[in-house]
Amino acid sequence: MMPKPLNLRRRSLVGIAFGALAAPALRAQPNVEITVHYAQPHVFRESKEAVAAAFSRHEPGIRINWVTTPNYDEGTQLILRQAVAGTQADLTYQGLNRLRVLAERGICQDLTPFLNRESNPASQGYSETILGLGRTAGMQAGLAYAVSTMITYMNLDVLRDVGVDARTFPTNWDGVLDLAARIARLPNAPDPIYYDIGEWAWSALLYGHGGQYMSGDERRFLMDTPQGLAAMRLYQRILREGRMPNLNTPAAQQAFGAGRIGVRFGSTAFLRNVMQSVGQNFPLATTIMPVIDAERGRLQVGGSAGMLLTRDPVKQEAAWKFLRFSTSAEGTALMVQNTGYVPCNQLAVDDPRWLGEFYRANPLFSAAMRQLPLTVAWYAFPGTNGVRISQTISDNLQRLVEARATPEQVVQDMQREVTRLLPRAS
Amino acid sequence: MAERGPKSLWADVPRLLVLGFLALLLLMPYIWMISASVKPLDELFRASLNLWPERFHGIENYAKVFSQIPVFGYLWNGIVVCAGILFFQLLFAVPAAYALAKLRFPGRDLALGLVMLGLLVPPHVPALPLYLAFSKIGLLNTYAALILPFTISVFAIFLFRQFFKALPDELVHAARLDGIGEFEIVWRVILPNAWPAATAFAIFSVVAHWNDLFWPLIVIEGQARATPALGVLYFRSDEAGDDFAALMAAAVIMTLPLVLAFLFAQRRFVEGIATTGLKG
Amino acid sequence: MPEALSAAQPASFQAKSRRLTRGEALVGLMLNLPAGIAYFLMLLLPSLATILLAFTDYELGALEWGWIGIANFEEMLEDRGFAIALRNTVIYVGLVTPLSILLGLGAALLIEAGMRGRALFRAVFFLPVVSLTVAMAAAWQYLLHPTIGPLNAFLRLLGVTSPPFWLSSSDWVLLSLGAIGVWENVGYNMVLFLAGLSAIPRELYQAAEVDGTKTWLDRFRLVTWPMLGPTTLFVLTITMIRSIRVFDTVAVLTQGGPNKASEVLLHTMYKEGFTFLRLGYSAAITLVFLLMVLGLVWLQTKALDKRVHYG
Repeated sequence: MMPKPLNLRRRSLVGIAFGALAAPALRAQPNVEITVHYAQPHVFRESKEAVAAAFSRHEPGIRINWVTTPNYDEGTQLILRQAVAGTQADLTYQGLNRLRVLAERGICQDLTPFLNRESNPASQGYSETILGLGRTAGMQAGLAYAVSTMITYMNLDVLRDVGVDARTFPTNWDGVLDLAARIARLPNAPDPIYYDIGEWAWSALLYGHGGQYMSGDERRFLMDTPQGLAAMRLYQRILREGRMPNLNTPAAQQAFGAGRIGVRFGSTAFLRNVMQSVGQNFPLATTIMPVIDAERGRLQVGGSAGMLLTRDPVKQEAAWKFLRFSTSAEGTALMVQNTGYVPCNQLAVDDPRWLGEFYRANPLFSAAMRQLPLTVAWYAFPGTNGVRISQTISDNLQRLVEARATPEQVVQDMQREVTRLLPRAS
Repeated sequence: MAERGPKSLWADVPRLLVLGFLALLLLMPYIWMISASVKPLDELFRASLNLWPERFHGIENYAKVFSQIPVFGYLWNGIVVCAGILFFQLLFAVPAAYALAKLRFPGRDLALGLVMLGLLVPPHVPALPLYLAFSKIGLLNTYAALILPFTISVFAIFLFRQFFKALPDELVHAARLDGIGEFEIVWRVILPNAWPAATAFAIFSVVAHWNDLFWPLIVIEGQARATPALGVLYFRSDEAGDDFAALMAAAVIMTLPLVLAFLFAQRRFVEGIATTGLKG
Repeated sequence: MPEALSAAQPASFQAKSRRLTRGEALVGLMLNLPAGIAYFLMLLLPSLATILLAFTDYELGALEWGWIGIANFEEMLEDRGFAIALRNTVIYVGLVTPLSILLGLGAALLIEAGMRGRALFRAVFFLPVVSLTVAMAAAWQYLLHPTIGPLNAFLRLLGVTSPPFWLSSSDWVLLSLGAIGVWENVGYNMVLFLAGLSAIPRELYQAAEVDGTKTWLDRFRLVTWPMLGPTTLFVLTITMIRSIRVFDTVAVLTQGGPNKASEVLLHTMYKEGFTFLRLGYSAAITLVFLLMVLGLVWLQTKALDKRVHYG
């Protein structure tokens, strides 16, 4: 085994020693093959392969077979189908709001015992916040690998025309909407602002008010509350005062790249794509979302976490090692440098050895990272209608976008329709 | 329609203009797609319609596609799968269609009804039970999994039956009087006459299965047996946005063989019809 | 001709006919055997399995599930989404079928009317059929883009002050998808009509000329259109089936949105089964879909079969 001056390394040596006692096959040049699945290959492939390359320097005896799906949706379906047939992958990176579905069906392993083997997870960068992102159904279902939050994308040329730059960009929504009004008065004005349409993007407004989707006991849907109503009314103001065009996300992406949208509020996951489609068209800047409630405001994350599926002890060891490495400071640092996502390892963020320099050199990437302390888990609704509920919320938001209902009506209808889709109080 | 010798160019102009205009409308997305595949991402979606890029990015885009996915492997899989499907479709459908068109046997009407019914069933319906069955017998991720479900093509039976019904009965009767057995009739008399219909059907079949996304997405994992459509899908992403330029380049690469095949087969199709001496 | 054979026949020939009939029946069945087996294994059995699911509450990966009788169908009756999908599908079929048939026929007639450019135009018109919707999606997004796309730029040139948001407005999305559907189907129908046109015997046209028909319209009315009868019926059936099965464009371009304005039956079925994982409910939708399409084709065959006849 190769010596390495990291606590991590010594731990895995101990782990391997135990493993060697437990399973003779692991001694002397073990050759284990594990199948690892992840989604969005054109986004994550480089980072996954970089992580795998670094990993194989630590663990040469573990070979990885990759399986990919275009999106999280197909990824969940894949694992579920495979589970029915009994052929599931050993390790899978699922969308964070899909952990619950797999956990409740007993498909994944609880990672708590694995984590307990590490004497001090926090010292390796697994802070409470980060671990919380992967907790659901009463267990540590996954380890967050890459998360995304809503951020603000700015077209600096347009902002300059109204006398604002990246540093003086407003920090609250009143300021932003006032800015929008000024942009709208420019000659040949672009669309002033665009807020990504859809349930996940809108949830930033709800959580930003200190609200949340469900009550603590998960019995009541909390749209018909002061925070829900306030969030809906703010959304209405964004749509009307911000003169937001009714575009779908790809169209908005394209329009922003063409310089026809002043400010876009969207996921940091798009960052690489935005940078490329903006290219040399105009100077781009990013910043955090406007703050609504400085104390209680939170942000729901997007992104993925690694889940351990296999029950075979040999493969379990190997898969756990890869999972742990991919979410370690070294692994997440590799991930960030290849994508726009936020690292899920506090060490990676703090320690200058890993990413400190990166964020200094690439300020566009730091917006999401700065919001990490505000994040809460990507919520998965209880019962079997989770995705459908998300769709119902999106559909109702669309009515507001096309000005076919008032915020109050939308709140009422949403409350009623979602409540019907939730499991009956038992 | 009526053949009165070649028209003068002058008289032909209105026809050519209308056809040309319609053709341009139909080609617009393709023209843009090819133009997009050689542009860098920031030039892709400009407010003005420039077909030629300012900075030629074709090499980077196409190189990216070739480096991210094993293009030739995917294309080869596409060829194997489509050829395999077509072979079995013809093997099963031509005899059945002839029997349904020309022969009398018990259960014929039932068979016809089942054929019509089969036309209406969308591919999603048998998908999941087939998937479970294939995985139970370990056939996932194989050419067999991609080919087997489509060996039965009710559209082929339907098409060939229409074609055979139009064949004069005298052909078959003459062969029978010559003492040729029924099975021989199928292979020596019917099949050669079915060639134009077979060419037409081949076009429909290959197009449908080359572009099929739904089934390969279910039964294929990894790249060894992936089909061209999956290759294009590689560059999509809901959460982080599609890699548009590479997507367009991949689309051009994966569509090109199909276009070339059609151009090639198109002439055969015309020849086939022209040489059928039994018309009228 | 067969009629000649049916004149008074010697007994030996009748015996041979009987043997022929038995042999014919056997051969008929044997020829159907491979197709029948494939049909049974690959189509019938799995479809029956799925249809059985319609009476359960099975969800993908669920640990326990059971029979629930017609509960899924009751839910469907109250499901706003299903009703909308049904209405949208009917509108879509109503848009795409006549337009793509007319344009396909027109293109076929124009191409056949002269010698120049036949191969070229045939290939160009067929190209959309060859396209992969996932690949065309970005092209459509751009061409139909409300603010930076060329279509709306052209409309603004013509003086339309606020051109529609083609793919993101509830009012226009179905129309836009219909237009794309026509684009996809024109070439398909054109090829079928070309085959039908080429099968019309030249003598009929010559005979018509001798009878005094002068104009193109007369020729069309008297010779072409009646002779195209079976082809037209075929094209009508195929186009309706293809358009009722619309899925790709919806899944890739709009995902049924905005707010279900472009939701169609097969997409709802797919979404319920594969995104919401409710395979039992999805199977129920499939069953209803099949019954409806069956009814549609039966109606159409009854209504039109009588009217198709050769001149």
